[in-house]
Amino acid sequence: MYELKTLLPQFDIKLPTCMYPLKNVSLAADSLASSSPSSASASTSSCDDTASVAARQEKVLKQLEELKEQLGQIRKGLGVCGKTIQHTTAFQNGGLKEVPLQDVVINGHPNFIPYALLALKNAWRDLYTIDVKTFTHSTMADIGPAAREFEANLAKVPVNPALPKISVTLIWKNCEHTEMISSPTMYVPIYGEVNIIRYLGRVGPAEYRYEGSPLCNEIDLVLDICYQLLRCNTHKTQVAMVRLLDKRLQQQQYFGGSQMSVADIGVYSSLIRMPAITDKDLTPALVAWRKRAKLVAQI
Amino acid sequence: MVEDKENVENGEQVSKKGAKKLAKAAKKAEQKAETASAVAANNAGGDSAEDHASGRYGLSEMIQSKDKRSERNFVPVSELSGQVGKGLVWVRGRVHTSRAKGKQCFLILRQQSSTVQCILAVGDVISKQMVKFAGNIPKESIIDIQAKPVAVSGKIESCTEQSLELSVEQLFVISQAKAQLPLQIEDASRPENADDAEGLNIRVNQDTRLDNRVLDLRTPANQAIFRLEAGVCRLFRDILTEKGFTEIHTPKIISAASEGGANVFTVSYFKDSAYLAQSPQLYKQMAIAADFDKVYTVGAVFRAEDSNTHRHLTEFVGLDLEMAFKYHYHEVLHTIGNTFTAIFKGLRDNYAREIESVGQQYKVDAFKFLEPPLILQFADGVAMLREAGVETGDEEDLSTPNEKLLGRLVKAKYDTDFYILDKFPLAIRPFYTMPDPNNPVYSNSYDMFMRGEEILSGAQRIHDPEYLMERAKHHGIDTSKIAAYIESFRYGCPPHAGGGIGMERVVMLYLGLDNIRKTSMFPRDPKRLTP
Repeated sequence: MYELKTLLPQFDIKLPTCMYPLKNVSLAADSLASSSPSSASASTSSCDDTASVAARQEKVLKQLEELKEQLGQIRKGLGVCGKTIQHTTAFQNGGLKEVPLQDVVINGHPNFIPYALLALKNAWRDLYTIDVKTFTHSTMADIGPAAREFEANLAKVPVNPALPKISVTLIWKNCEHTEMISSPTMYVPIYGEVNIIRYLGRVGPAEYRYEGSPLCNEIDLVLDICYQLLRCNTHKTQVAMVRLLDKRLQQQQYFGGSQMSVADIGVYSSLIRMPAITDKDLTPALVAWRKRAKLVAQI
Repeated sequence: MVEDKENVENGEQVSKKGAKKLAKAAKKAEQKAETASAVAANNAGGDSAEDHASGRYGLSEMIQSKDKRSERNFVPVSELSGQVGKGLVWVRGRVHTSRAKGKQCFLILRQQSSTVQCILAVGDVISKQMVKFAGNIPKESIIDIQAKPVAVSGKIESCTEQSLELSVEQLFVISQAKAQLPLQIEDASRPENADDAEGLNIRVNQDTRLDNRVLDLRTPANQAIFRLEAGVCRLFRDILTEKGFTEIHTPKIISAASEGGANVFTVSYFKDSAYLAQSPQLYKQMAIAADFDKVYTVGAVFRAEDSNTHRHLTEFVGLDLEMAFKYHYHEVLHTIGNTFTAIFKGLRDNYAREIESVGQQYKVDAFKFLEPPLILQFADGVAMLREAGVETGDEEDLSTPNEKLLGRLVKAKYDTDFYILDKFPLAIRPFYTMPDPNNPVYSNSYDMFMRGEEILSGAQRIHDPEYLMERAKHHGIDTSKIAAYIESFRYGCPPHAGGGIGMERVVMLYLGLDNIRKTSMFPRDPKRLTP
């Protein structure tokens, strides 16, 4: 073959001064894999990098605070609208802004009371607050004694103002499915009490968040069985579902291991909705589990 | 030429042709006479063929309270179904339509919202002349009929009483209507069916309706609307009286404009001039200072705003209330909210038939509400609007499109057409509004919305005269003009709050109608002073 002349001649590239050089990530990884002493130096250098970025961010935030103070002074001087200067906590917690969680609306029929709300309120009473306000929709003439008792029980749970909270508006309505609406503009309603449990489980206290844990599939499986259980019409199908649950429970303390989880909440509140399933239909393991769960859920 | 010839031969014999012509003419004349007499005989036979029903129909003489006729048992059309097979009844109603065909006449009788079919057939009781008379009665005339209610096998679709018809025996016209009507009741009550391309599309213009209001009000939908309006008023009175309120009546001729000043009507008052009251605000508060504790008033409100919109009138009926409270204005807020919820429940439960009647002509979406009523903070409302992409300031008043959008957002989220917005910013409220003690940006004031439109604006009023003067100065209002107002608080006044609504607007929004003139019996706007 013959040699090709280079198309572009060599010329000097002037590096811009407003940017900063990034350490080549792959080289650092290579060096880490190859030798251990150099890995230590590489890791420290990468630590240095993150530290320098963090230091830069802190400097920028400090400047922002100073500018805001200056603006506030100017405002005061001019007497422009008496808005108080909003001090952000952004400086303190590393740039994270804490916003209260969107409040949720749950529409339910009084014949299908979402006991899971009460169970979660009780289970989380020391960890997290679920503030439930109940309303009756105009399509519902009378909600019945069971729903009224449920409302009274909801009101009885003591509220600790120091805990993070989520506001839930429960509307008794003549609707087919229990549904949850989080925001009117991004309107994607969530159907089914079990799915509401899943949502609340993800925004609730860390102890009940199961997404990252290895039990994730197990818990989801149990919740799916609950979903089907709630849709069973005949006693035979209900008993079949109960047998499935028993298979999942085996000899454990709770569904999903030795700790109470949202799966237990789901099974417990579903069983309350099915008065046709008596202790006779449950296996002894399930009866014992129910006693244990009642201590936490307190319904 | 030929005539001349005949004239010449006058006395003599007429020519042959002439004779033939004459004979033909004579024959023709004879035949004509024969048929004429035959027809006459027929007609005469018909007309004078003894009208065996002559005493049982006709134009009644003007009712001047001559006879009591208490033996006649009148039954309302809505109760006729219970009278089938029980013999003759008397009914008074209007002729909705009447058509005679040969030996039968079908007449639809209308009484407010109910219609029933009446049938006259030539027979022993009814004569041919009676049928002809019935077919010629002008529409809208008031008639008395004596008839037998008869059950029918098939359903009569065109009437409200579908399972029976009246077999008429006597028929008298009490008040005859003019033959040419400015508008047809059938046209005025036709539903707005845009998708029915084949149906008749004749509508009556709103101006024509309002000019001939007496006829327009006879349509079933209008009858229902105004009975519903009466229901709103009655429920308002009953519910508040039950809560311990007292009704008061405030003067409408006042000496100084209370709110604003630009939008008042002036009347000449002997040698001076006076104004027509824009709102009973001042007098409600004086009644509270006079120890009436809880008051409400139902009366006319006059606003001289030159607004020609679908929701403004110059004169409307205001339902206002004012209440003294112990420590927190939420006591009053919840009272007002619960009053509304109770009114809606009363309408839903007791006036379902009227709502359905209106629904047959105008499309009506059922009104949805929550119990207890939904109360949102103004800041939350602004947050919802911002989330939907609308830029609005923290202290900015809600513009009309923003109000409507917020109404739709609340409807999408909570599925309610009625909600309350609490803690409005102080900057946009009148000077007598009490500011929020915890946050000087906001005030203790609230607005209530139905279907995204504002119906009530209320607040805790400042009851301390010194503070009131301060706030008035802050708003740049001349305190000498409102001296009388401030004076009423100098002799001890309890903390109080209240609000007022427009009755026509509430009915319009409850039914989901598009124009407030539909809910005002004889509306007044910048361009209309009659009827």
